Amino acid sequence: MISSRPATENDSVVGVMPKVVCLPDTVDDAASRIAESERTGESLAFIGGGTDLEIGSPPDRLDVVIRTERLDRVIEHAPSDQIITVEAGMTLTRLQSVAGAHGQRLALDPPLADRATIGGIIAANAFGPLRTRYGSVRDLIIGISIIRADGVIARGGGKVVKNVAGFDLPKLMVGSLGTLGMIATATFRLHPLPEASETLLIKNQSASDLRNLMAEMKRMQLEAAALAAITVGPRFDVAVRFEGFRTGVVDQRERLRSLIAVCELLDPVGEQRFWRRHDEIRAAGPMRLKIAALPSAIELVMRDVVPPLRGLLAAGGFIWYPKLGLGFLTGATTADQEIAAAIRKARETLALTIEAAPLGVRKLANSWGEPGAALPLMHAMKQRFDPTRRLSPGRFVGGI
Amino acid sequence: MSTAPLETRASTVPSEVADRLRSIVGERNCIVESSQLRTYESDGLTSFHAMPGIVVLPASTEEVAQIVRVAREASLPIVPRGAGTGLSGGALPVPGCVLVGMSRMRSILEIDLENGWMRVQPGVINLDVSKRIGAEGYYYAPDPSSQSVCTIGGNVAENSGGAHCLKYGFTVNHVLGARIVLSDGEVVDLGGPVADAPGYDLLGVLVGSEGTLGIVTEVVLRILRKPQATRTFLATFPSTEEAGNAVSAIIAGGIVPAAIEMMDRLAIVAAKAATGVDWPDVGAVLLMDVDGPLAEVEHTSAAAIEMACAAGALEIRRPKDEDERALLWKGRRSAFAAVGRISPNYVVQDGVIPRSKIAEVLGDIETLSRESGLRIANVFHAGDGNLHPLVLYDAKVPGQEKLAEDVAGEILRVCLRFGGSITGEHGVGADKTAFMAEMFNESDLETMNRIRCAFDPQNRFNPGKVFPTPRLCGDRPGIYRPHSAELSGQADRV
Repeated sequence: MISSRPATENDSVVGVMPKVVCLPDTVDDAASRIAESERTGESLAFIGGGTDLEIGSPPDRLDVVIRTERLDRVIEHAPSDQIITVEAGMTLTRLQSVAGAHGQRLALDPPLADRATIGGIIAANAFGPLRTRYGSVRDLIIGISIIRADGVIARGGGKVVKNVAGFDLPKLMVGSLGTLGMIATATFRLHPLPEASETLLIKNQSASDLRNLMAEMKRMQLEAAALAAITVGPRFDVAVRFEGFRTGVVDQRERLRSLIAVCELLDPVGEQRFWRRHDEIRAAGPMRLKIAALPSAIELVMRDVVPPLRGLLAAGGFIWYPKLGLGFLTGATTADQEIAAAIRKARETLALTIEAAPLGVRKLANSWGEPGAALPLMHAMKQRFDPTRRLSPGRFVGGI
Repeated sequence: MSTAPLETRASTVPSEVADRLRSIVGERNCIVESSQLRTYESDGLTSFHAMPGIVVLPASTEEVAQIVRVAREASLPIVPRGAGTGLSGGALPVPGCVLVGMSRMRSILEIDLENGWMRVQPGVINLDVSKRIGAEGYYYAPDPSSQSVCTIGGNVAENSGGAHCLKYGFTVNHVLGARIVLSDGEVVDLGGPVADAPGYDLLGVLVGSEGTLGIVTEVVLRILRKPQATRTFLATFPSTEEAGNAVSAIIAGGIVPAAIEMMDRLAIVAAKAATGVDWPDVGAVLLMDVDGPLAEVEHTSAAAIEMACAAGALEIRRPKDEDERALLWKGRRSAFAAVGRISPNYVVQDGVIPRSKIAEVLGDIETLSRESGLRIANVFHAGDGNLHPLVLYDAKVPGQEKLAEDVAGEILRVCLRFGGSITGEHGVGADKTAFMAEMFNESDLETMNRIRCAFDPQNRFNPGKVFPTPRLCGDRPGIYRPHSAELSGQADRV
């Protein structure tokens, strides 16, 4: 018997509350509940740690939420092969402690790792500053099992890092927000924990300073593990983190210092403080906007896009990942009309998605922006995986 | 997989269809003569061959789209082809198909060094990408051994790897966007230079789909700044066991080598015969690259050498200049071809195992060799457990070719038994469709087929590849209704 309980506000998906919440103890239990929903016609959503439940548009209907928190087992950890397979409800922090006991880590560092689950991180394509060097979920996931809308369990990929057999089901699930199936288990490539890590802080940089810094670092063949720029007013504090063997870290740090005099090497406390501040800004709300542009567009972004939006947001901040060309604007607002207008205006310049917003803003501005020419293909994919539109219908791009 | 008879014959494509295709690409870019069609009857997997109905060589996305529309109206299968270097029969024609060769689409369209990307046509040779930007200090990371001849379009189809994918990843990690022609002739852009386009990661699905989802007509590649330093060394060992232990120790030591390659005694003999490298007669060699910032590289290469010695290395060789380094890598890169020096024929296998199982798996392969009486040379990407056993045989000896294929197949079963994969980089193609059903169960395959049906519901692109049995796409997925082709007796549901 699968335990269930009445839903509360905390079980809402983009503001829509389900009727009932199920907490399966095993993947098979989850599969049988999903198969049942196929017969009853109930609509479903899946929740892990609930850290990214505001991404997307409100679903058109939602009967049952399946929470994965009890699916939190390690299925296989092969330290010598540097791979780990876990159930979707395991938190990232827990996975890191399992891997860390063997000097390894999953090179993913989205905010709220103590709550965020593996399944949720995959479904939301969550990432942090380490993406600079290691890529995102799609670059680290090597295998997956999913429960389809009809309750059938299917696997893709495998448990070896190199594998081109069959279509890449793991990548299809990355960022799919539970609209194609429930992620049941996932296998990742792990990396060795670095021997040393240092963060250097370069304060008070303009957008063009930042662009020059990136060009100079490239010229000098410096390889940062993580890069993040946080706005302080119209300028940036730029953090550069080097990781690896100590000799290499020290050498890279000294070369960066030779390049830029105002570079401050943070002590461990300062380093922790900086990255915590980064995480707090990333997770701040209730408004969170993600913007994407070419890295070279940062001057334009800082001139035309960020100021009008920042001006309407209290607290929070703006974080830009200079190598990725991705940024997050967070904060609180009461000016729904104005911010919706500013979002529409920003979309004339770059891609902007609303990752969290008060309902008032949602009503005035589409969460996703203009869907591209691939939308019919995405609809076709949805149709093949969820023909009766029961998995968070309407939450995804273009009403999928 | 059936092979077509080799008698001389003209195109099997109806003449009005041939005329329409000719009007799209021009007379000289349309091949119908059987003697010329024969050039296209196989790819790098030469034991499989079939005659295309017609070969067309388009010069633009628009021409590809028109070709697809004509082929679709004529209900002809479409098989895309790059340089034809693939080793799994991915570009093997379906008998009578419209084969779309991308060899004329070989322009580099746009380069953006600051943002780290480049837009190219699919017929561009892999190595030419790096050559074009090498002088400025940039390169394209995926480096399949055939990189001097294989094309980017083929790399995208196969999700090609190479020696350096241990650290840098595969083609899929370096493709940012693609323009594709879909089965209805529509043109769609997936991804692009700007990260995280909203929606499903259809680009991630496209890469490695072996020409079954669409025809790629433009590709946006990630380009990287060259690392500050690279250190290479060759270590010799009494046997593959010590070499395998060295690999495990290096990886366990927290080092991520750019590449770490192993060759066994027979492969060394072949490489020496073919390239003149002066490697000693030993049981195994490891060839390793570490790259990155200089100080880091000095540290890791010294540490790796120390670990190799502790694991029982007989000798360490460090190239003194770039020429010597290139020669070491030439010995490795030419290994497949080199085996031709010591055997009239051979089967190239491609399987993957968990890295820590190398010694056990090599033991099983040796048993297969002993039992079959066929020699097996082993060349592989040891860092990621990607084996390339080469099963040697003589086609003139009756039954030996079949025996070699059976032994190669058994090696895949060994890989699966250890939790590995039937292909690490060569693809499933036409060669390994039967093994897909041994690696995946029916639900897995049926789920993958849904992906295919979303892209190509009529199964027009490269039919017969990847999947073990022909599969149709119901018009209403999830609810079974006989397909019109079944009702008319043209197809069976297996």
